[in-house]
Amino acid sequence: MNELREQTPLTQDVKAIYGEKASLESRIAGSEGYATLPEPNFGKGGWNKRNVTAFQTSPLSTVGQWQSIVHAYQPDGFQQPTIVLADGHVVMTQGLDALHDQGVIAMPLSQAEAEHASLVKEAMHSVIAQNENRYVALNSALWRDGLFLYLPKGIIVEKPIVVLSVTTQGGAGTFVRHLLIAKEQAQATVLTVDLAASDLAEELHVNVSEALLSDYAHVTFGVLHDFPKNATNHLMYRAKLARGAKMDWVIGELSEGYTVSEFASLLDGEGSSSTSHAVALGSGRANLNFTARMVHNARFSESDTMARGVMKDRAEAVFTGNTHILRGASGSNGLQSERLLMLSPKSKADAVPMLLIDENDVKCGHAASVGQINEEQLFYLMSRGISEQEAKRMIVWGFIDPVLTRLPVTTIKEAVEAAIERKMG
Amino acid sequence: MANSPVLTIDNLQVAIEDKQILQGVNLTVRGGEVHAIMGPNGTGKSTLASALMGHPKYSVIGGSASLDGEDLLAMSVDERARQGLFLAMQYPSEVSGVSNANFMRMALNSRLGEGNEIPVLKFHRELQKQMKTLSMDASFSERYLNEGFSGGEKKRNEILQMTILKPRIAILDEIDSGLDIDALRIVADGVNSLRSPDFGVLVITHYQRLLDYITPDHVHVMMQGRIVRSGGQELAKELEARGYDWIKEELGIIDDETVSAGM
Repeated sequence: MNELREQTPLTQDVKAIYGEKASLESRIAGSEGYATLPEPNFGKGGWNKRNVTAFQTSPLSTVGQWQSIVHAYQPDGFQQPTIVLADGHVVMTQGLDALHDQGVIAMPLSQAEAEHASLVKEAMHSVIAQNENRYVALNSALWRDGLFLYLPKGIIVEKPIVVLSVTTQGGAGTFVRHLLIAKEQAQATVLTVDLAASDLAEELHVNVSEALLSDYAHVTFGVLHDFPKNATNHLMYRAKLARGAKMDWVIGELSEGYTVSEFASLLDGEGSSSTSHAVALGSGRANLNFTARMVHNARFSESDTMARGVMKDRAEAVFTGNTHILRGASGSNGLQSERLLMLSPKSKADAVPMLLIDENDVKCGHAASVGQINEEQLFYLMSRGISEQEAKRMIVWGFIDPVLTRLPVTTIKEAVEAAIERKMG
Repeated sequence: MANSPVLTIDNLQVAIEDKQILQGVNLTVRGGEVHAIMGPNGTGKSTLASALMGHPKYSVIGGSASLDGEDLLAMSVDERARQGLFLAMQYPSEVSGVSNANFMRMALNSRLGEGNEIPVLKFHRELQKQMKTLSMDASFSERYLNEGFSGGEKKRNEILQMTILKPRIAILDEIDSGLDIDALRIVADGVNSLRSPDFGVLVITHYQRLLDYITPDHVHVMMQGRIVRSGGQELAKELEARGYDWIKEELGIIDDETVSAGM
């Protein structure tokens, strides 16, 4: 069907690399989307000034030193079912067999496309359109790997499933893709961690993750992102919820690079609900454009969005909360708050709370604040003998604690705390 | 620091922004003593308390203040606390994400100094004991610092911190406001439990009621940024019976903002 169209070099490469794969057709469509779609408008902030072509069509043939980077996050070894990806390759899987015995499919997406082609084909792009933007299209052309999780009806997975994606060498591009399907009443917790070597060369990182929740399914999705300054990141996570389903996002953003990220729940089923708790630490010259989006498209749907940002050095950020209640979604309730703590006079941040309400019978609330360390709080703590430095530390940690306590895996929570501690200086 | 503490305030003058509030306050509080400062609203009582603790909004423009001979005004806020000064605040801050217990343990360890930290278990035992004495529910220790506490709960929490930190000199700034009579008695018992030659108290209030429970040795009346009269417990009784107007008349003070603020 494409014979008459001129083939782009990317399309030719994709054909050469993925000619044997079930995903070929979809990858070709992605490469064409990349060629034809305009550059996305990611608001002010200079996405177009970044090196967004810092990628190669094929993954690197050799894998770099990933162990030490992972070790910082899993010092006690792997207690959970785990997949480790390094430079686009699966380098380790563990504890997945026990899940298979439950009827759960938990495997690298590359394996699933071979073994469960129809499931993958049906679900992929069903939550995030392939051509939503140029880089989403690029990811669908070049995705290296990710998690494929299929939870049959009524199955409850107790242990969190951890996916660590490590980029050790820059320039090849990091294209992660996760796909989750939770059937009726199924429950699971997933934690994905994207890490990179701190001296990474210029790198484009695009992560596209979709989750499909059937009636009364409940998924907790933790996302941790820590890429260094040379990385340009586009993260797009989205869930679609049927009746009574529940999606809980827990997000830690520690990147020092340039990041545009969006986490969204499409509340399509009556009585579905979603929470989103995000903490971001902006340090160095980090530039973050973060959006948490809740789309209420059914009656009695509920959402609660909370974002806390701590900005230091010359970091810049825009935190947008977008709660949209569509016509017909009566009885819905949407809450959001964005609070930003500025630790440096050279850092900049905006909180943009958006409530779009097309229905009358709904409840909505929002709170937004941008401020420095509260002088009264500081005085209070110091008046008990605590030093200024320690008091400030306590206030900052207290500020992000409501989000940190929700991170699902203890060792990773501790690793995040250590990373924040390190970046806080 | 086995000897008895002494807080010396000499001709203290304090301003907020450009407005001078304290016009020269003189006062000495020694271990074993309870001093009460009374007076209408807006006369500088809380300014004195905040300035002694070192609140950044208040600038000292004259005079001196020392604790055990050490210049308080040269110290940062935390140094004053570690020297043994404590201020029970009228409006304690809420600090989200910091548990009450952790905060108090940090504070106590700062006061005890490096190498002398209290063992965690011992601390929690002591905390639970003191909370019980103050009729505070055990759950308060894990709640965020003052967050969502009622007015009365915050005041109890101030006294709890005082009983844990065991300061040498404590200033209680309107610790009675917002307390019902039972809570008032509990708070007063907490203060009285610390009374010893090693502990001096400065109670700021405009109600005599509190002084029924914490018996003062000295009562001072503050007006227009000065201590205008000092006496014993009988002065508080007289103020309760007669209000403040008679003192103003005697001193020739004509001041609209304080006339209505009697008993």
